[in-house]
Amino acid sequence: MLGKLALAGIKNRRRDYLVLLLGLTMSAAIFYMFANLATNRAFIKANAVVSQASLIFGFGAVLLILITIVYIMYANSFLLSMRQHDYGLFMMLGATRKRVGELVFLETLILGSLATAVGIVLGLAMSQFLVGFLLDMLGLHLAHLSAVYLPAIVATAVLYVGLFILASLFNLVRLTRTTVLKLLHTDEQANQPKVHPFRQMVAAILGVCFLAIGYWSLAAIKDLQMTAIPIALVTITIGTYLLFRATILVIIQGLRRTRWAKKHLNGFLLGQLNFRVYNYTRMLTIVSLLFAMALGAITVGSGYHRQLPMMANSLGTYTMAIHDKNAQEQHLIDQLNVKHQATYTQKRQGKVVYYNAAELKQQPFELNRGTTEAKYATHPKYYTESLKQFKQKGSQSLDFLSLAIRSEQGFYAPQILSAQQFAKQSGKTMTVTTVRVKNLNQDKRVLKRLNKLELARFAQPEAMTVGNYQSYELMSGFFGGLEFMGYFLGIAFLAMLASCLMFKILSGAPGDQRRYQMLYKVGVRQRLMRVGIAKEIGILFLIPGIMGVIDVLFGLQMFKPLMQSPMSPYLGIGSIFAIFIGLYAIYYAITLALYWRIVLPKAPTN
Amino acid sequence: MKMKTVVDVHDLEKTYGKANERQYQALKGLNFTVAAGEFVGIMGASGSGKTTLLNMLSTLDVPTRGDVMVNGHDVTKMRGNQLADFRAQEVGFIFQDFNLLESLTAEENIGLPLALKGTSSRVMDQAIHEVAETLSIADLLPKYPSELSGGQKQRVAAARAIVHHPAILMGDEPTGALDSTSARELLDLLTTINQKQKMSVLLVTHDPFSASFCQRILFIKDGLIGSEIKRGDQDRSAFYQQILNELGTFNE
Ligand SMILES: Nc1ncnc2c1ncn2[C@@H]1O[C@H](COP(=O)(O)OP(=O)(O)O)[C@@H](O)[C@H]1O
Ligand SMILES: [Mg+2]
Repeated sequence: MLGKLALAGIKNRRRDYLVLLLGLTMSAAIFYMFANLATNRAFIKANAVVSQASLIFGFGAVLLILITIVYIMYANSFLLSMRQHDYGLFMMLGATRKRVGELVFLETLILGSLATAVGIVLGLAMSQFLVGFLLDMLGLHLAHLSAVYLPAIVATAVLYVGLFILASLFNLVRLTRTTVLKLLHTDEQANQPKVHPFRQMVAAILGVCFLAIGYWSLAAIKDLQMTAIPIALVTITIGTYLLFRATILVIIQGLRRTRWAKKHLNGFLLGQLNFRVYNYTRMLTIVSLLFAMALGAITVGSGYHRQLPMMANSLGTYTMAIHDKNAQEQHLIDQLNVKHQATYTQKRQGKVVYYNAAELKQQPFELNRGTTEAKYATHPKYYTESLKQFKQKGSQSLDFLSLAIRSEQGFYAPQILSAQQFAKQSGKTMTVTTVRVKNLNQDKRVLKRLNKLELARFAQPEAMTVGNYQSYELMSGFFGGLEFMGYFLGIAFLAMLASCLMFKILSGAPGDQRRYQMLYKVGVRQRLMRVGIAKEIGILFLIPGIMGVIDVLFGLQMFKPLMQSPMSPYLGIGSIFAIFIGLYAIYYAITLALYWRIVLPKAPTN
Repeated sequence: MKMKTVVDVHDLEKTYGKANERQYQALKGLNFTVAAGEFVGIMGASGSGKTTLLNMLSTLDVPTRGDVMVNGHDVTKMRGNQLADFRAQEVGFIFQDFNLLESLTAEENIGLPLALKGTSSRVMDQAIHEVAETLSIADLLPKYPSELSGGQKQRVAAARAIVHHPAILMGDEPTGALDSTSARELLDLLTTINQKQKMSVLLVTHDPFSASFCQRILFIKDGLIGSEIKRGDQDRSAFYQQILNELGTFNE
């Protein structure tokens, strides 16, 4: 009988359950995808050439586990908030605590197991398609990636089911300890927090101190190594929590005493925020951390994405050198955004390669200050020399030396002959075309094909071509894992952040529905209510957003050792921040629209 | 001299349900008026359409047919913001379930109608304290609704309903959730408001005791005004007896 009642209760809140189930399923799927990447030995071996990369993968895994735990705690409290009224009612109707306890336990566990099972299946599918898609978009190639990996399945199942068993036990204890009356009336209780100036001050100062320690430990990652991350996680979490708890409340209560609070719905807004922010402190802390991690991860990922070509460009002058170009290669070159291009005739004999002075005079060989002077590393400066100067200096540059395809014995020594002498000179003749493109990232696809063709015809002894594109490909091999991780974790954290806020806000909606119904009856204009809700939810979004941005600005210090000059974790973060904040704003708009729909009273019609 | 009328209801009909659904006609052509300064009761069995009527008067719902004039405004012709402003300025409403915002203190709750009008905070404070004096709830002002008893909550709600001096105060079973002592206090309060502030009061109730505080009572049955009685010069207990008698015959 009770079981039937419980089922009916669930049916009534189908939509909320669907949101909950969806969120949990997504979380399990994301975890599986990551576990698959992080534990797949073959994959790690093939890609994590840099020792720090495996460290970063480990760090990512720990982070994801922590966030998952917190996330499930949230989902669980959302579940409990949906159900406690029903449970209270059952107890009032005479059901024993033990019976209700069993019910709670089962319900949580069934929901959790279901989410885990569906999540793993979804994770398998996403590993197959999404990861491939992301890699393709980034133009990365990660070897030995398979969607199905048993240890990852086991890890996901164990973690999630384990966590849900804990959550069920927690719910059981919670429910059997709370009085029936409290269970029945939780919706209507709006505990009003009191301000204690002294305690508040202490909390604020402590909060700032904790934050400072956290930021410092991230900056000092070189010395602290792995310990930096747990230190930062703990201190920043505590610091943010204390700071929120101490300051936001004081500000709101201060505002409540002003005249501004007595205009229109401002007083109501502050009243709402007052008890909401207090109840939401934990959630806002978590969301600010998730925000920081998502933004940080994406910033780092895109940092590599944008800066690897830049790094590559600082290594040489031409993007690629093609020997004896054929029609197909010419066709590809025509598709490039060429900034500079030159073709020289080479004659190789013995250990010498001969060039025609007339050709070099007509199209001087381009040189790059960035390769020699650090200050031009981020903004390469191209220049040419007079032929006389070039014979002495420029012709000895690595870029020029590499133009002649090497033999096993090493470089050919370049020699520049006058046109007549060159004509008479015997030797193996071929042409070389140097191409410098405007933007390596933009032309990546064409360059890749061109590189393949060149490689098939004229490989150097190491099976490589020459030019910045080759350097770029090599570096992507090293850092591609990091770049991918950045994007992947960033998107994962953003998704979790989204559903965390969604749970919390949706669980507050029934209460707000009543409140706005009241306002409607009292004669508040529709527009005023809309604006009021927009402000309220906006502030709830803004607080963790601001804190998250601050966290990221300090936290990027951590990547300094991994992104050495000319790369920098801070380079070009403006546009990434703008995009991320744009996404966050879209998410805000969606939440707001949803909330409006749930909460705003509808005008009567005939 | 003829008294000014605050409420004028003419041929009011209300049918619930859309044309293609199952329909139910709750009001079937109601006519009545309330004069300025009157204390009128509306009685009827549960389901007779009392709440429906009050919702039409307070623009929370729209009539299917008929006219409703409140303080000179044709309620049926208003749209959007006009409706909201009408509720905010012309009527005061006391609900059975108090309708207090629990995130605001009593003082902030009472000030809400004035804040909506954009009243300056000085005038607002003065008005709040005046009404709090009248209803003897000054000591409740800094408290939150969760710290108040049902009777206290309803008095705060009454203060909010009259703080902006509306043309008429309406109550839908405001004593419904109160114990008898609190109910009595509230009814005395409504009488005070009616007499001291010369405010019209329209009280919906199914309880004869509550109704005995009114000057005139309209009985609704099957969506129509069935009968009407006046208190005249009788004292309250005599009027109470008359109501009981009337209900006896009315319910046959
Ligand atoms: N929203 C509605 N939809 C359909 N029928 C309704 C609705 N509201 C009330 N009714 C019906 O109209 C009748 C009058 O209801 P109501 O005005 O609430 O009665 P009272 O307040 O006198 O108890 C009842 O039969 C009720 O079932
Ligand atoms: Mg009713």
